[in-house]
Amino acid sequence: MLSFLVRRLLSGIAMLAVISTLAYLLMFMTGTDIARNLLGQNASEEAVAARAAQLGLDQPLLTRYVDWVSGALHGDLGTSWFSSVPVTELVGQRLGVTLSLVFLSTFFAALVAVIVGVIAAVHRGWIDRGLQVGSIVGAAIPNYLVALVLVIVLAIQLKWFEPTGYTRPQDSISGWLMSITLPVLALVVTTVAGVAQQVRGSLIDALRQDYVRTLRSRGLPEWRVVLLHALRNAAGPALSVLALLFVGLLGGAVIIEQLFAIPGAGSLAISSTSQGDIPVVMGLVVAIAVIVLVVNLVIDILQGWFNPKVRIS
Amino acid sequence: MRRIVAAVGAAALTLGLAACGGGGGTTSSEDTSTAASDHASLVIGELSYPTGFDVNGYSIAHYVQYFNAVFDTLIRQDGDGNLVPGLATEWTYDDARTTLTLTLQDGITFTDGSPFNADAVVANVENFQASSTPDLSNAQYVESVEAVDDTHVAYHLSAPDPMLTTWLTGSFGFMAAPDSFANPDVATNPVGTGPYTLNIDKTVTGSTYVFDKNPDYWDDSYVVYDTLTINYYETQTALLNAIQGNQVDAATFMDVTSMDQVEAAGYTVYTSQLDWMGLLFYDRDGTVDKPLGDVRVRQAINYAIDKQTILDVIQLGHGTVTSQPFGEATAGYQADLDDYYGYDPEKATSLLAEAGYADGFSLDMPNSSALNQDLLSAIQTQLADVGITVTLTDTGANFITDLLGGKFTSSWMQLASANDWQFAQLALVPNATFNMFGTQSPELDALFETMQTGTDEEAAAAAQEVNTYVVENAWFAPFYRIDNFYVGNSSVVVTPAADNASPYLYLIQPAS
Repeated sequence: MLSFLVRRLLSGIAMLAVISTLAYLLMFMTGTDIARNLLGQNASEEAVAARAAQLGLDQPLLTRYVDWVSGALHGDLGTSWFSSVPVTELVGQRLGVTLSLVFLSTFFAALVAVIVGVIAAVHRGWIDRGLQVGSIVGAAIPNYLVALVLVIVLAIQLKWFEPTGYTRPQDSISGWLMSITLPVLALVVTTVAGVAQQVRGSLIDALRQDYVRTLRSRGLPEWRVVLLHALRNAAGPALSVLALLFVGLLGGAVIIEQLFAIPGAGSLAISSTSQGDIPVVMGLVVAIAVIVLVVNLVIDILQGWFNPKVRIS
Repeated sequence: MRRIVAAVGAAALTLGLAACGGGGGTTSSEDTSTAASDHASLVIGELSYPTGFDVNGYSIAHYVQYFNAVFDTLIRQDGDGNLVPGLATEWTYDDARTTLTLTLQDGITFTDGSPFNADAVVANVENFQASSTPDLSNAQYVESVEAVDDTHVAYHLSAPDPMLTTWLTGSFGFMAAPDSFANPDVATNPVGTGPYTLNIDKTVTGSTYVFDKNPDYWDDSYVVYDTLTINYYETQTALLNAIQGNQVDAATFMDVTSMDQVEAAGYTVYTSQLDWMGLLFYDRDGTVDKPLGDVRVRQAINYAIDKQTILDVIQLGHGTVTSQPFGEATAGYQADLDDYYGYDPEKATSLLAEAGYADGFSLDMPNSSALNQDLLSAIQTQLADVGITVTLTDTGANFITDLLGGKFTSSWMQLASANDWQFAQLALVPNATFNMFGTQSPELDALFETMQTGTDEEAAAAAQEVNTYVVENAWFAPFYRIDNFYVGNSSVVVTPAADNASPYLYLIQPAS
């Protein structure tokens, strides 16, 4: 298990190096005139040239990349060209918001999915058929549409929530909960059925196994058979889906953040990419790559805990 | 699942209701408590945020309120564009109009306690000149600036600049504490004399900017709120939702298609006209695209465009059809030039035939995903009707760079034209930003000279002649002056600025 983890960690670091190099080169290959983008259409050529020199855009690409890497290795990711804030501060602030959204959404999606999935697998019937339809509909409806409907109905018409904005937990916990309820709801609604479907499928498979019949024949209560034995064996595939879900939600949060005017990493990624704010884009690439690597590592460890076979192989 | 279906149904129902009845009582602004109606707080919605509060970030347009909050300007504008005192109480030119002397308010201090005086103005001007601010050209004629005494400062110019006093109402007039220039956090921690100070703890850069009232503010001629919040919205949809939820007291607004929803939510829409849009011809000597060198061809294109229909379809009628590039607020504006080129495709065809293009010709124009594609295809269709084939080349994110780099001989464009000399510098003089091919004539050069160096009356007469010249010679094919919108709820009264997209902050005042 330990050597397995070390191998994963090393390949993760190698991957990080490759990803950041590729991202850096790609950003420059778009050929966007960054200084002009920053200054707008009315700025004179002199102002544009002065800004380009100030940002080091007149230096060769290799020099700039080496500068960035040596800075990054010392933990200095530079300063945003667009908002003049240190990248580590900006990305840290924004990523915290996105992660809180994604963690909560994943948690609730998992919770509801397990409950619905178990009920569907055990009872089958109309709940099961409803889940089948629901997972298709859930996958087909874009999350921004769900979000828009939630805003119009619950915020603008019923006034239960504020339609936009984000309250930081350090300012007000209840305000924070109110401000993230609709975004989380929108993310959960569109993802929960797919995960529930996965739980249902693997639980049905597990319940067909011989050991289940054995357990039942020994007179164990059905709830113990399902929840303590079959569900644990069904957890493997569901966990993999959850990891995918988490990474997918990082992307899915982009549009949700824009719609609710939430200062998260997704909206930052969009705006800094189109502005050509390379230090910020690179900061985000590195941070998100690290998160994805860590999540996969954690899932691997959990898999081992649920299934001893993984630990041995 | 049923819940989703029910929610969709409910939304469809409520949308339907809102569409026919304006939402009834539930969307009126009175019955929510989110936006205060006293002077405790003002919440503004914007679609842009500044790159920083340091000199490199100085900007006006949709950014101006962020800066007005923390910095006073030397001169201010009222809603009609008249210059009124700010940190400077008086300003006078010498006879040659190459020295501008300002008289400064006495006894004002920056929020760090340092005094505002002539030395502070000199330091700000020099800091501006050494910067890479987008508005750097504001200072192009300023050779040096001199502190005459504590309350008098003289700007020495290389040539007269009719725009200088106007620039002092914007970026070039922002006054920051000189001691703050070298601060490492100068971009995020501004120090000015302004009505507010930035609350750094509550501000989230690129999202929410919170300002607290400056308790020692010197000017009680207008109301300063206890707190000012400027919220940045990345999309029109988010801003519209915030407006419908009455989360903002005043906001920039651009989406004409949702104007009804904004009004139904109890907001007043304030309108001004600052820009015109249409086709710009750059290669007027025909060095690359020979047809554009013929004035008859450029006139033909003017006649070929059905401006009113485009205005009605694209802008839902929110604008004024015109043939002249000078805006209504300028001295060069002449009402009778608005319909100089009416829609007349037959005349266009015969002008093209006269010029030797009876079989038409092709033009390559730039495209970008940021442009209105319906508008571009309308242009394509209408020009195709008179035999001109327009091909559109995608420029990605480099639309402006490619244009200014001279890669295209003509294009669609929207230009600001609320000031005579500013517009001349932007699009008309030989080295103007949007005169990439350097079109020039001795007649015009003499008129520009008068616009720059003459008295106000002489300059105004010259501007009118310039306007007539560029209309008759079809330097452009303007379609219409575009309505610029700003919205406010019942707690505020907004006076739109005469030459800026967002009102100066001091033009947003409580209703009571």
